[in-house]
Amino acid sequence: MVRPENLNDALKTLSRGGMTICAGGTDVMVYPPENARLLMVDRLPELKLIEDLGDAVRIGAAVTFTEGIESPIVPELMKAALRRIAAPAIRNMGTFGGNIGNGSAKADSVLIDFVLDAKLELASIRGTRTPDIDKFYLGRKKLDLAPDELIAAIFLPKPKGSWYYEKVGGREALAISRLSFAGVIDVRDGVITSLSAAFGAVADTVLRFKELEAMLTGKSLDEARAMKPDFIAAYDRAIVPIRGRVSETWRKEVCLNLLRDFLSQNGI
Amino acid sequence: MIEFVLNGEKVSWEGPDTERLLDVLREDFRLTGVKCGCKEGECGACSVIFDGELANSCLIPMAKADGAEIMTIEGLRELDCFRVLDRAFAEPAAVQCGFCTPGMVLAAYSLLKKNPHPDENEIRDGLSGNLCRCTGYRAIVEAVKLAAKEGGKW
Amino acid sequence: MSDSIGTPVIKKDHCDKISGRALYTDDWPMDGVLYGRILRSKKARARIVDIHLPPLPEGCYIIDRNDVPGVNRVHIVKDDCPVFADDTVEYIGEAILMVAGPDKKETGRIRDSIEVEYEELEPVLDVLKSEECFFEYGCSRGDLDAELERADFVYEEQFRSGSQEQAYLEVQGMEGMWQDGITSVRGSMQCPYYVHRALAGVMAVDEDHVRVLGEVTGGGFGGKEDYPSILAAQVAVAAKKTGKPVRCVFERREDIECTSKRHPSLYNIKAAVRDGRVTALDVDIVLDAGAYTTLSAVVLQRAVIAAEGIYNIPVLKVRGRAMKTNTVPNGAFRGFGGPQSFYALELLFDHIAQKLGRDSLEFRLEHCAQKGDPTSTGGIFHFDVPIPEMVEELSKLCGYGEKHKKYAAEQSGRYRRGIGMSLFYHGAGFTGAGERDMIKAVLRLKKNRDDNVEILSANMDIGQGLTTTFAKIAARELGLPLDRVTVADPDTSFVPDSGPTVASRSIMVVGELIRRAAARLKEQWVSGEECIVEERFREPDFVLPFDPERFEGDAYPTFSWGVQAVELETDTLTGYTRILGAWGDYDIGTVIDENIARGQMEGGFLQGISYASMEQIPADKSGRIRNSSFSDYLIPTAADIPVLETIFHPVEYSDGPYGAKGAGELPTAGGAPAWLMAMQQIVCRELNCIPFTTEDTLRTLGEVSE
Repeated sequence: MVRPENLNDALKTLSRGGMTICAGGTDVMVYPPENARLLMVDRLPELKLIEDLGDAVRIGAAVTFTEGIESPIVPELMKAALRRIAAPAIRNMGTFGGNIGNGSAKADSVLIDFVLDAKLELASIRGTRTPDIDKFYLGRKKLDLAPDELIAAIFLPKPKGSWYYEKVGGREALAISRLSFAGVIDVRDGVITSLSAAFGAVADTVLRFKELEAMLTGKSLDEARAMKPDFIAAYDRAIVPIRGRVSETWRKEVCLNLLRDFLSQNGI
Repeated sequence: MIEFVLNGEKVSWEGPDTERLLDVLREDFRLTGVKCGCKEGECGACSVIFDGELANSCLIPMAKADGAEIMTIEGLRELDCFRVLDRAFAEPAAVQCGFCTPGMVLAAYSLLKKNPHPDENEIRDGLSGNLCRCTGYRAIVEAVKLAAKEGGKW
Repeated sequence: MSDSIGTPVIKKDHCDKISGRALYTDDWPMDGVLYGRILRSKKARARIVDIHLPPLPEGCYIIDRNDVPGVNRVHIVKDDCPVFADDTVEYIGEAILMVAGPDKKETGRIRDSIEVEYEELEPVLDVLKSEECFFEYGCSRGDLDAELERADFVYEEQFRSGSQEQAYLEVQGMEGMWQDGITSVRGSMQCPYYVHRALAGVMAVDEDHVRVLGEVTGGGFGGKEDYPSILAAQVAVAAKKTGKPVRCVFERREDIECTSKRHPSLYNIKAAVRDGRVTALDVDIVLDAGAYTTLSAVVLQRAVIAAEGIYNIPVLKVRGRAMKTNTVPNGAFRGFGGPQSFYALELLFDHIAQKLGRDSLEFRLEHCAQKGDPTSTGGIFHFDVPIPEMVEELSKLCGYGEKHKKYAAEQSGRYRRGIGMSLFYHGAGFTGAGERDMIKAVLRLKKNRDDNVEILSANMDIGQGLTTTFAKIAARELGLPLDRVTVADPDTSFVPDSGPTVASRSIMVVGELIRRAAARLKEQWVSGEECIVEERFREPDFVLPFDPERFEGDAYPTFSWGVQAVELETDTLTGYTRILGAWGDYDIGTVIDENIARGQMEGGFLQGISYASMEQIPADKSGRIRNSSFSDYLIPTAADIPVLETIFHPVEYSDGPYGAKGAGELPTAGGAPAWLMAMQQIVCRELNCIPFTTEDTLRTLGEVSE
């Protein structure tokens, strides 16, 4: 076990290889790798900060979900998702970085990272890069993350306008997402200036279709209303759900229902 | 060598990084009030207080325990505030088979420590990671209400 | 009223349990104890061709069928379940052998490295394709054909129900020892003497050479009625072979995959309707028994007996079969065949009422059995049936009438609501002649020199509070303070066989033996002297003796009655449904402890609700259970049941202690039908399949709106 004092030391250790990164432990310990050596990043000061950057918030990767909920600067949309994660004991240990690093399309905070166009701060001894979240996810459990890289932080833009969030699990709490949806829309003087919609637990990664979102950007609400059937139909074609414990049919239908409702709630 | 504070005492332990805190507490420290129900963070029977926060000890690797302060039911029962919880759980008979109980009491303690006057929803959320198959939860929620009403030095 | 026996007390096991001091099976030190890990079949049906064992380190052992000293069969009802598989395996999860060793991880690694060569055989996974009937029972009254002929119309419907896992929080666990020719087993269980008798056969010893100790047990719900006999046999054989104590405590996945569950069921019902009333019922029941018989015979009997619901129908024919499939054996689960029947019958009557344009509740009440009416097996309802009064009480409590009417009107908007009410009973005590012919309960009270009294019984406190309620009964009869009466550890070396902890019999049957023993002890009381008083079960005089051959007579001396209501709200965008409230009214006779009884009613009710909704055991094509973990097999959390209210409507029972009768299983029977009826209001369609999932809900909403 290595518990580095600071980020630099952590990156040095990581670069030497042979370590498994661990923060909260809530994912790695479901099937604990027996002989793994753990690089503990849970108390790294650089990874524990939440900073207000004006238009965005920088959330350290080792910030726990509970800390996120309790923070005055984490956007409410993110908090809405955090509150629906499992239960207090998991939220107390689980971290933003871990949720991303796990690579699951069901990760509740990752849906919000997607819908808000978050960037990640990936650190290594070679330097730092900040990929867009959607570029970071390459496929099912596939991440654009080199072995010597550590997820250090998330740059989470604050939502502009109004947001919509829904998670469907198997029960009220302690539930893995069977489907989740988040939408953000900004309407100025009756014109949609930005719109984003993300779908979790539908496919191998969180889904977002920026080219479809663009259909409504710049349109007036009246125009958007007229385009709504086409817009929904386009999503119907674009979303290809995978089959899991719930059927593709249900997933598709709920995605479209929630998308439709998101628009209705915003006058579309 | 992994060192941590366990129920107020400094202890040390040696072994694999990914050993579950749950197993170490039960097998090496003989703290069997910590129960194993699922080993995947889905039942809460293994709850402990980890650095002041409720946690599932089955999902805590020993490497994470290094430097931490951990309290189990065996530690909590020595605190004054335990008496409040004890009475509050006794009154509505919130304990049936008892297997979830130590974890449930720690969840209640953790909730009240953060929020001494929780409303019904906050109580239910606070207990939502601790499964009980016996009670239907009504009596447990009532117990937490009673404890909150009585108050304690959480 | 502090003088009432129902006045709650602090439970006797409260302090030990809340402080974490209570020692469950796996909490005892492992000093010198070997870990046992079981190798299980990965095939639903196969012949075992060969088993390749790795080299075993010193101190590790393999235990298989060749090590069984007696018969390689565990006595439950029939003796068909092997201790360790013979040449074939019949379900995924069946035990093939055990590895025992001093190190937990090492033992697991050895187990995982064993390779089994199988010759696969075609498994039967669909109960409708099964050709092997384990058991068949039936009962009838009147001329069915004539009544079907005479009917205004014959209503036919099929009802399906799925499986359900008991999901006790403490997994199965058992430790075996063998010393000086005595086999001892201690562990988590409901029925020490069931285990005791099974061990005698497996170990080929007489019953004096077996000792079984029931440890503190973390929930059972039926799941620890049959299965502990199997696990006990396995650890006992291992202990004899190794000469050391061997403990086997399951992993949660293992527990869900290989232990017995609630029987999935298929009911085909024909109902003759004449002049607005149901005049005949023809009920055909198929239960999926799984690979071995375990308790299917008795579960099926209860299902058959309850197949008239709470109703009295002039003409009746019930035929029930328990069919073999190559799936995990199904056994006891709270309600024991009753929940399947009440679910089907409540929905059937509701649907017939719809067809007749009648109010469902009114229609059902018109058919409700009354005191003096015949039971399905030609017995008699000897006592008052308080269902009509209970319906009134409960309706008032939850605003049923108003809500039901409101939700029946067309609902618009994203969220829709529904409310449903179920009427049901639980036949109190062991089914049929079991209590009289098989169990023959014996109970002792032991007064010590210090004038404290011990209750010697084999009944287990598995959370339902027997150590408290038993003591309350004895203390009251003796006029002693409660702390002077204790319940002795259920250890078969010194407690008599007061019978299993099943069938909601403990308070009614054993509690009454305690009361009678206490009354006699009081008469004989000499301060400072030791005294033992024994009581034996006597069938109450009023009972029409049950004839097991003809399946006729009083299957139960009395019945506990229940009415439950469930109110739901569904999100029409997702199909997700949450519970708004659940209300129950129960006649369990005199309530021995209001808190404890309430706890029983609430917990059982919630199990019944989630049986219809969130609890699912899907299997893949190979017969493997897919939901074998607690992240996939969902049971309700504290956030899922915001309102849960209980009231009692006690009708005293002449032959129970202070008027008490069966309690524990009653509340589980009504949850599913009440939930499903509420759901019917939401989806505007008659339903006949549980579990009814979020997906089903959304699909049905879609179909209906089209």
